[in-house]
Amino acid sequence: MRNTTKRTYIIIFLIIAFFAGLGIMLYSFISEGDTWVANRANALIYKGGELTVAGTIYDSDGEILVSTEKGKRQYNSNYNKRVSTLHVVGDSAGYIATGVQTLYRSNLIGYNFVDGIYKTLSSDEGVDIKLTIDADVCAEAYSAMAGKKGTVIVYNYETGQVICMVSAPTYDPNNKPADINTNTSGKYDGIYMNRAISGVFTPGSTFKVVTAICAIENIPDIYSRKFKCTGKKTFGKGDVICNGVHGTLTFERALNVSCNSVFSELANEVGKDKLTETVRALGFGKNVTISKAKTVRSTFDVSESTKLDLGWAGIGQYTTLVNPSQMLMLMGAIANSGKAMVPYIVEESSEIVDSKNKVNSSIKLSEETAAKVKKLLRSNVKNYYSDNKFPGLEMCGKTGSAEVSNGKSHAWFVGFSNKKNFPYAIVVCLENGGLGYTHAIPVANRVMQKVFKEVS
Amino acid sequence: MQGQNPRKNISRADKVRRKYKYVDRSFILFLLTSFQVISFTPVIFGGEAIDYTVAGLLLIYILFEWLYVGFMRAVVKKVNFELEFIAFFLSGIGLCLQASVEPSGMLKQLITVAGGVIVYDILLWFIMDVKRVMFVRTPLAVFALLFLAGSFVYIRQFVGAINGAYNWLAFKGFSIQPSEFVKIAFIFVGAATLDKLVTAKNIYMYVLFSMGCIGVLFLMKDFGTALIFFFTFIVISFMRSGDIRTIIFICAAALIGAVLIIYFRPHVAARFAAYRHVWEDVYGAGYQQTRVLIYAVSGGLFGLGVGNGALRNVYAATTDLVFGLVCEEMGIFIAFSVVLAFAFIAIYAVISSKSAPSTFYSIAACSAAAMLLFQICLNIFGITDLLPLTGVTLPFVSQGGSSMICSWALFAFIKSADIRAYPTLYKT
Repeated sequence: MRNTTKRTYIIIFLIIAFFAGLGIMLYSFISEGDTWVANRANALIYKGGELTVAGTIYDSDGEILVSTEKGKRQYNSNYNKRVSTLHVVGDSAGYIATGVQTLYRSNLIGYNFVDGIYKTLSSDEGVDIKLTIDADVCAEAYSAMAGKKGTVIVYNYETGQVICMVSAPTYDPNNKPADINTNTSGKYDGIYMNRAISGVFTPGSTFKVVTAICAIENIPDIYSRKFKCTGKKTFGKGDVICNGVHGTLTFERALNVSCNSVFSELANEVGKDKLTETVRALGFGKNVTISKAKTVRSTFDVSESTKLDLGWAGIGQYTTLVNPSQMLMLMGAIANSGKAMVPYIVEESSEIVDSKNKVNSSIKLSEETAAKVKKLLRSNVKNYYSDNKFPGLEMCGKTGSAEVSNGKSHAWFVGFSNKKNFPYAIVVCLENGGLGYTHAIPVANRVMQKVFKEVS
Repeated sequence: MQGQNPRKNISRADKVRRKYKYVDRSFILFLLTSFQVISFTPVIFGGEAIDYTVAGLLLIYILFEWLYVGFMRAVVKKVNFELEFIAFFLSGIGLCLQASVEPSGMLKQLITVAGGVIVYDILLWFIMDVKRVMFVRTPLAVFALLFLAGSFVYIRQFVGAINGAYNWLAFKGFSIQPSEFVKIAFIFVGAATLDKLVTAKNIYMYVLFSMGCIGVLFLMKDFGTALIFFFTFIVISFMRSGDIRTIIFICAAALIGAVLIIYFRPHVAARFAAYRHVWEDVYGAGYQQTRVLIYAVSGGLFGLGVGNGALRNVYAATTDLVFGLVCEEMGIFIAFSVVLAFAFIAIYAVISSKSAPSTFYSIAACSAAAMLLFQICLNIFGITDLLPLTGVTLPFVSQGGSSMICSWALFAFIKSADIRAYPTLYKT
């Protein structure tokens, strides 16, 4: 009998194992509950694959971008506002993977371990989220893009606050086109992709900013040099064709007129290794997280290139592909004395502690170089594009017309305002939009003027 | 050993407690039935019209609880009701969810609770006399094994597999799970056999009986129950022999057997392929587990309220997945109370086994508690993907008559070790 009672310790083992199991279960409930609840299989908040119960998303002015009404997500009543903010806000079914409604859904549905989603379900609304974007600016950008595919991003380069992020093509979330998944005409190509975050494009001449930075840092007499442009530059058996015959010109002038001859020559002069080093130091090839959304990496690889290829790479062609947000951060770094702020979309609140005021450490640009490049970019606008294109904004920037295999070139403008108390940088990228100078600059101006009006 | 004076084991704390016992009992029962009234309120008043049937059945259940305790106290002179209260608490939760999900099933469930209580008291009365136990153990072993094997043959022949296992004996509109009833015999035979002087024959017979049961369960493809039987077998053998080496040897042999089965019968392993990968197949093999996890945390600590959940729409919500349903609708707090109750019962069994009137009761109580707790582990850790999903029920709470009656019967074994259950021995 005494032996038997002693042997009950086998039961004690079982009890201890049971408690350990319960502990693990509780721990996983606490640590993973928010992901589980936000799963699309949760019929309490998803009906027919669509989010039904969630908080309201506001823009920076407090305008409702999306809210739940009678068990359905309703987007802004203004057509242009809702289509232009769609990619940032995200759709109810989660097709737009980088949308706030998708990435922040466990916040929006108001989940916490103690209450679960009881409060959300009983009040039919979750926790609200305020965004940094301004629907008025987004709508303006969308109409300025005039139906072209592409993206426009504007952010405060001192804080990282994104005021405008538009991606096209887009659609009306209140009235989703029936043929959106079946139409093969190409008008809905990549419609669920936020091009600002998940897109990569050939940079064209905007990449000359990178080549210029490399030249400034590696060629001591760059400012005193004189260059010659005969309309093309020959490397071995091939030519890099220039957009004009620029004759004799300085480094600054070469950037103003975007001379292909000079920049393809500079790329070869600094060489593959130095150019690659600069590209890496500027953060290309790394991704950043913009309010939980990971950007797509830009690619630059000249390891197998010939001299001709390297020449093309120096003017933003060859195999190089850049992410628009990466270009925005590069502009931010130049404007902000070398410090690139990481953009953010979601305002902080008691529930959300975000990446506010974060510096992108993968972009290394010295204050000195930043100041030099800023001068060059200012010169571009002042001496070449003309300040009339951006009345009153004191803009710095660079255009680009990236040659692509299918159709017209991508029209680019990357830049920022140097005006006091108006620290905003902008990237405009219009797919097959034409020339940067004729097509991207007007869009950039319209959007920047709108931003200026809204913030002042 | 039976000559030990049980009165010695009555502690001073017990004496003090006994003074207030009468108040305590009524008060606890009052709290218990109040909890039941509160948990049933949304079921009765939640619909468009007041559900008088459910209200009536609840009233019957509450009356039954009070009358049972009153009768047992006044007439049978029982002094303590801890186990009964826990069983009433758990059965009440099961009834409430049953009434809410499928009101038409509540009456049946209530009848099985009553049946369980009757089985509990008859069994307890029966095993209180060790002579009777010894007399029936061999016939019971033979009968149980034949019943299980016969059921298997019958099910193979006439019923077929339900959810991949041949473990439901179905007649016209009525079905029982033979393995649940054999559980009772398994503890009974195991504990009784080992109370006798150890003879080689005794042990061989018991091992043969156990392996027979486990073998048939394997053929039935009821792996969860087979595992429960195996674990209980280990507990009983160890408590009997204290030979840890033999136990390790048996476990190693079983492990090799399991590996061989998986090697030669890959489809057995395929049944557990989703284990730790449930989120990769949310609409397939991981369907039930992911739903349990999603909804268990959706309710938070205090639940969404009975009737407001979504897990109820998932297959087996009131049976295998009922723990998830309790989490979602009644809250993680109550759900954990439910399962913790079984841990306390196991502790209670260990403590009372030390002063049990006979080794038979010690082993019966400990092995029954271990069987229940092990089953809880398989159930709640299986549906939450911490263990492979084996499809066993949560005792008392899961819907189903066989499981309910078996759970009550196992409580009789646990109670039998408590010296206070013997009014003739336990008198001041």
